[in-house]
Amino acid sequence: MKLYVYCLVEGGVGLPRDVQGVGGATVRLLSGETLSLLVSDFALDAVPVSRENVLQHAAVVQSVLASTTPLPFRFGTLVTEQQLRSYVDAKYEALKAKLEQVSGCVEMSVKIILDREWIEEPATNIGHEKPGTAFLSEKRRELLGGEARLEEAKRVAEWLEGQMREVVREIQISKNPTDKLILATAHLVERDRLKYYRTLINEARQQRPELHFLVSGPWAPYSFANIDLEFKTQFGVS
Amino acid sequence: MRLSPENPRPAEPEIETAHAQEFVEQLRCVADSLPSRINIDAQGVEQGLAKLVLTLIEFIRRLLEKQAVRRMEGGDLSPEQIEELGLALMRLEAKLQELKAQFGLEDEDLNLDLGPIGRLI
Repeated sequence: MKLYVYCLVEGGVGLPRDVQGVGGATVRLLSGETLSLLVSDFALDAVPVSRENVLQHAAVVQSVLASTTPLPFRFGTLVTEQQLRSYVDAKYEALKAKLEQVSGCVEMSVKIILDREWIEEPATNIGHEKPGTAFLSEKRRELLGGEARLEEAKRVAEWLEGQMREVVREIQISKNPTDKLILATAHLVERDRLKYYRTLINEARQQRPELHFLVSGPWAPYSFANIDLEFKTQFGVS
Repeated sequence: MRLSPENPRPAEPEIETAHAQEFVEQLRCVADSLPSRINIDAQGVEQGLAKLVLTLIEFIRRLLEKQAVRRMEGGDLSPEQIEELGLALMRLEAKLQELKAQFGLEDEDLNLDLGPIGRLI
């Protein structure tokens, strides 16, 4: 029997009530001296990626967020209890430091769409060029469009960072996840500054009406945890 | 840090946007391009391997395209050379499309998540 791991929390945190784990399993606390882990038993070798399972994972992590800031594990993390305890022992200092880093904070997500044409030059010669030359001309236009889009994403990222700097402890930025979605940003925000954060975001929205915002949260600090990778490296767990 | 008057309970998560449909479309694109696990079973291994090999070919193809465009812009190619290079790259793109279709792969499938470094393409 393996354990499904949801998140790491500081020791002494209580088990959330009325929350079911992945596959309807009972969630329990694997307690250490100063760190604890929320886990549930799991009989299979891999966790099916389904809407229900993903939502159950998120619900467990979110239920802990009501009382403390957890370090979430990646969806689908399965290990034996012995592996888990060895991992925590080996990485104790690093995990403690990571937990301290996100302590008292939540994650807010900001995604921005800029809907405009990015191909800079009109293709004036199409129809007159030979096929190979026309193909390369088209590639050139696409390349220029991509570079212009990236430049604009950088400008928007710098502008947003400037707007939110005073209320955000840390930022994770992904530029150009898709052609229209030019920016996906995660902000680590202290809980007691969430209201002010929302005020600043609304001001930013009003300043740049051409940018379409999607703001979501508060979430557990998924983008700032990054403990799944270390875990995977150590045990080959995916 | 425990809950206290200084560290209040956060509100339930909310999603705020005036452009929901636009974001649904874009986020669906991102979700479609997320790498799925490679299942090492008899049926899945061939497609998993094809995906890996074609991703690397696609990466190199894009590099070649960029280099060709830079050389074209630099003016160090004759019109005949540009045409020849363009035709070669056009055929390479067509061949790759053919192979993708053969293995049931989409454009979004040809990418690799390199962890903290980001995505390959």
